[in-house]
Amino acid sequence: MNTRNELLCIWSAVLFVVLFTIGLWPLAHFLPAHSPTASAEDIAALYQARPWQMRLGLFVMMGCSGLVCAFVAAITVAMKRMENGLGVLTLTQLSAGTCGAVFLIVPCLVWTAAAYRPERSPELTLLLNDLGWIMLFMPFTTFVIQNIAIGLAVLGDRNASPEMPRWVGFMNLWVAVLFIPGGFLTFFKTGPFAWNGVFVYWIPLVVFLGWYLVMVVLLRQGALRAARAA
Amino acid sequence: MSDHAEHRPPHLPGETGVWVFILGDMLMFAAFFIVFMSYRSEDVALYVNSQHTLNQHFGALNTFFMLTSSWCVALAVEAGRAGWQARAQTWLLGAMACALCFVGVKFFEYSEKIAAGFTLTTNDFFMYYFMLTGLHLMHVLLGLGVLCYLWFSLRATPSAASMRTLESGASFWHMVDILWIVLFALLYLLR
Amino acid sequence: MPSVFKLRVTWLWLMLIVATIVSWEFGHGLGFGDNYRLSTSAVVIIAFIKARMVILDFMEIRHAPRALRFMLEGWTVAVAATLLIIYWQSA
Repeated sequence: MNTRNELLCIWSAVLFVVLFTIGLWPLAHFLPAHSPTASAEDIAALYQARPWQMRLGLFVMMGCSGLVCAFVAAITVAMKRMENGLGVLTLTQLSAGTCGAVFLIVPCLVWTAAAYRPERSPELTLLLNDLGWIMLFMPFTTFVIQNIAIGLAVLGDRNASPEMPRWVGFMNLWVAVLFIPGGFLTFFKTGPFAWNGVFVYWIPLVVFLGWYLVMVVLLRQGALRAARAA
Repeated sequence: MSDHAEHRPPHLPGETGVWVFILGDMLMFAAFFIVFMSYRSEDVALYVNSQHTLNQHFGALNTFFMLTSSWCVALAVEAGRAGWQARAQTWLLGAMACALCFVGVKFFEYSEKIAAGFTLTTNDFFMYYFMLTGLHLMHVLLGLGVLCYLWFSLRATPSAASMRTLESGASFWHMVDILWIVLFALLYLLR
Repeated sequence: MPSVFKLRVTWLWLMLIVATIVSWEFGHGLGFGDNYRLSTSAVVIIAFIKARMVILDFMEIRHAPRALRFMLEGWTVAVAATLLIIYWQSA
């Protein structure tokens, strides 16, 4: 096992979190979220006001999302050590995590389509804007499955020196539960369960980005321990 | 009485890690409660009027089931600690029966509300009513799975580890109970 | 294990049921006459006393390490106080 490459994949999550936040916040101004009740004209005005900053922000968000694939691979390698081989949970995590990366990249492309011709009919810009928000915040399913797989693998680790402490398993299960309310954004345009609400946007966003940082620390420890044991 | 020794050394119920989940979940529900209360305070009349359409009997009945199942689980832990695996399993079955009754009552309550035309999108009160009770119901179903797991784990020879598992699962179930106690007050009883 | 009826948890369960009935009556309009705000406050306080009873004796936090007991009791006090402050500010 090449520890240097493994560490590279682990650290890529930090780069992802930093770049994604820069793209989302100061560049694209997608933090705080657009209001789901805003009129087509208001949304179109947002895209017309600062088109190239928005395009650049989305470029950065899309561009750094591929790093998630590298990080998913690092989790996969750690889980292989937990399951003593390519177990089903490891493979579930790998495929769910990969799908999750897609749902970071595609919404950025949809928003890019809106920012590409900001002068087009506001109704169409509104449609693309809706599509982007729904794609980024509604598909909880891949993240939930990924977190449950990690949680179960950590808790099922029967090795003499476990890969990760057991609380990490419970933390992953908790994160899984936390993402589920996001799926309900389809019913609401106002309030805490709308896509700009506290239980769909703010808490999941902070937990999502924070989860990477916690996992970086633990994966790094595991990789170094495995290198010493080898 | 089981608390005869006030000076016995501290004992953490269950394993340490499970408290990350329990405290995390309690934090999330605390946020639900506080957000509910702040939105309610902006339009008290709407919330009070909508609340009058709820059937308090369903809520109270479910509180009874939830408290009773929690009590059964506490008795199962006592029995497990005394080394009476079979009796612990019986109490767990009692807890599961109460949990199933809870789910059944919720099913009737939801269908009654939906038949009367109240849904997730009727107004803000019903948004909270369905979302919060729905997310709680998800925890009840999760907890039912945990109780089943405990029932099976009690078939193994008793050990310190199996006792810890029983306590971990029991603590999760008591948390589901606590969250319902607060939800019942907030959704059914406030004026 | 002594008989079920001699166990502390059983008496606690009975007290919890009684507390539920009492708060249910407050919810109906009994209690503090016309002052519905006091009734509501009583409902909230009873709910969190019930939660604390479950925490201390069903979860067995009474004998848990101090840090955990502090966090759970802190939860009940902080959430109850926040809810009551929001309620009284708008009422």
